[in-house]
Amino acid sequence: MYDQPALEKKLDNDTIKIAASGVQVYYGEAHAIKDVNVQIQDKTVTAFIGPSGCGKSTFLRTLNRMNDTIDICRVEGKILLDGEDIYDPRVDPVQLRAKVGMVFQKPNPFPKSIYDNVAYGPRIHGLAKNKADLDEIVEKALRRGAIWNEVKDRLHAPGTGLSGGQQQRLCIARAVATEPEVLLMDEPCSALDPIATSQVEELIDELRTNYSVVIVTHSMQQAARVSQKTAFFHLGNLVEFGDTSQIFTNPKDPRTESYITGRIG
Amino acid sequence: MPASWIFLIVVVLAAIGYVLARGRALASAQGDSRHLHSLPSYYGMNAALLTAIPALILLGLWLIAQPVFVEKRAEAFIPADAYESAGQLSLMMSDVHRIAAGLDAAVAQGVLTEAAVTRLSAADDVRGQLGKVGVALGSDVDAAELEAARSFRSLSHTGDLIRDGLVVLLALAGFGWALKQTNKDFRARNAVEKVIKGLLVLAASLAILTTVGIVLSLLFNTVEFFKLYPAKDFFFGLTWSPSFGGGSELGILPLLWGTLYISLIALLVAVPLGLFAAIYLSEYASPAIRGIAKPLIEVLAGIPTIVYGLFALVTIGPLLMKAFGEQGGLGWMAGGTAVMTAGLAMGIMLIPFVSSLSDDIINAVPQSLRDGSLGLGATKSETIKQVVLPAALPGIVGAVLLAASRAIGETMIVVMGAGAAAKLSLNPFDAMTTVTAKIVSQLTGDADFASPEALVAFSLGMSLFVITLALNIFALWIVRKYREQYE
Repeated sequence: MYDQPALEKKLDNDTIKIAASGVQVYYGEAHAIKDVNVQIQDKTVTAFIGPSGCGKSTFLRTLNRMNDTIDICRVEGKILLDGEDIYDPRVDPVQLRAKVGMVFQKPNPFPKSIYDNVAYGPRIHGLAKNKADLDEIVEKALRRGAIWNEVKDRLHAPGTGLSGGQQQRLCIARAVATEPEVLLMDEPCSALDPIATSQVEELIDELRTNYSVVIVTHSMQQAARVSQKTAFFHLGNLVEFGDTSQIFTNPKDPRTESYITGRIG
Repeated sequence: MPASWIFLIVVVLAAIGYVLARGRALASAQGDSRHLHSLPSYYGMNAALLTAIPALILLGLWLIAQPVFVEKRAEAFIPADAYESAGQLSLMMSDVHRIAAGLDAAVAQGVLTEAAVTRLSAADDVRGQLGKVGVALGSDVDAAELEAARSFRSLSHTGDLIRDGLVVLLALAGFGWALKQTNKDFRARNAVEKVIKGLLVLAASLAILTTVGIVLSLLFNTVEFFKLYPAKDFFFGLTWSPSFGGGSELGILPLLWGTLYISLIALLVAVPLGLFAAIYLSEYASPAIRGIAKPLIEVLAGIPTIVYGLFALVTIGPLLMKAFGEQGGLGWMAGGTAVMTAGLAMGIMLIPFVSSLSDDIINAVPQSLRDGSLGLGATKSETIKQVVLPAALPGIVGAVLLAASRAIGETMIVVMGAGAAAKLSLNPFDAMTTVTAKIVSQLTGDADFASPEALVAFSLGMSLFVITLALNIFALWIVRKYREQYE
């Protein structure tokens, strides 16, 4: 029924990259995330699945404090990145986001050239010593984004002129260019066709060798294909978290089973 | 019968048509409106529109055409050697109008009979007789004028009669035709909607035609001006010194310089302030502050420009004098009215214009771009500087150009704040004047309308119109070009 999970590749690293404990998120009065505990491993793809409105995107956005931009949003609990609390008042959310990159649901290239899109992060964080250095960073990022061959001859054409799938890979390249340690992806393939989706999925598998990747997805097949760990959210609760193969073949919670067999959601 | 009566008759006919056609349609469906093609009121509307619209259009056209025709015929009675210029003829013709009106009044009051009017000759004391019925004439009536007035009267009367008859006939024809059409299968709704659509098109084209008319009237007078005054001296002349006695120099350059200088200062004030206000309001302000501050800034846009002029005159001017005038020790400024005074006031006037347009444009930048930038670890300020503003820039440029064309067309602030001297000077504390202010001064007062000194106002207006039009088109082009960028 499902594609074979990508479990054959042995997880290289068992260190815990992000540890969340007792996380509560409120939007004004609404209690969006209820007491979530989850540990995300380094060099692993972790998938968040669940029906719409279950809080998986909200939880993803707490991991790099993107929720700070929403006035009415309030986060409680502890989220540790490499053992440091990211909600500590001494932490600068701007620096945190440089370490925890994010790719969004809809491709959102800036209205700049392809080159400038990718160079944006390195320029802001001063990662390049000179022009040649920056060129190298951009090329490396575009290669990692699996889009170099398509755009190498038109680096100075506007990024908005690319197709949807190319735009999304450009956005991934842009996120990779700042050398993050964790990459958060919020339904990165929901606006893409099947071919572009499979390209992006291959890319995610590639990225796993360097980063810890957290992906929110609506497609259970996609979760099964790309992830090693899966977390199932329902109504703001983390229902079940475990190895992808176990979640899809032998779920412990009846709600998880109902969801993956298509009875709820 | 006066035209207003005819109008009333047509309207009453239309109302009767509405009631009759509605009843007829219902009767043809045996009183059950479900058997009708359209709702009963559509049948009524159809009859009312068919009765009123053609008749009213005819009435309107007739009211415009008849005076022109009658005037031409009456003019023919005035011998060509009795006047020297078109102006003199029009003076005589206004006498003729008064005589005709006087004769009408005399007949109405019973002082003269119709037969007596036809027997009247220039030898009779026409002036005295008309004086008795309350129509005072400036001079005695000569034979030609009397003849013209009589012909004017009779032609007008005949014309009015034919008009009344035709209009009522047309209304009745429409009335009858509509009633004949009306039965349960007639598609009244489609017919009515077609007419409504026609009326909408008419409204839209009237607005456009008016614009064309304005341009044409400017254009004809401009051409008239260039017949009297060489275009080269107008466009390239460095001196503006009109004198109605003749021998005036009418160069546009000093005025254009004043206009551009004042506009430039106004934009230097308005663009940074407006833009920063817009950035604060759209990116940083909390909803509560935004809710208070935005309407407050927009109140500035509702202040009449004459009030800004007063503000310039009584507040800004004296303040500048204190700082840059004799009192301040610098002595750059000779009087309170100066380019700087008007420019500052105009700048304040333009702030809400720039800020509310820019605010809309900045808000139109998709949130996903901001998220993308923040997600890469950019600060809010970096995001605004490097993503939001570049994305909004073409729109902001468009807003600035629109503000510029308002600044160029502004009059009252300049009249009150900048002085009246047309000067080519670089000193922003000098008094200067603008194209608009000079249009006002050339056309007000008792100027001879055929002299270049008065006609120059039209070519000034035309030049201004072309400049602002070009700016607006440029601005719209930029705004439109940028719209495609996110999609």
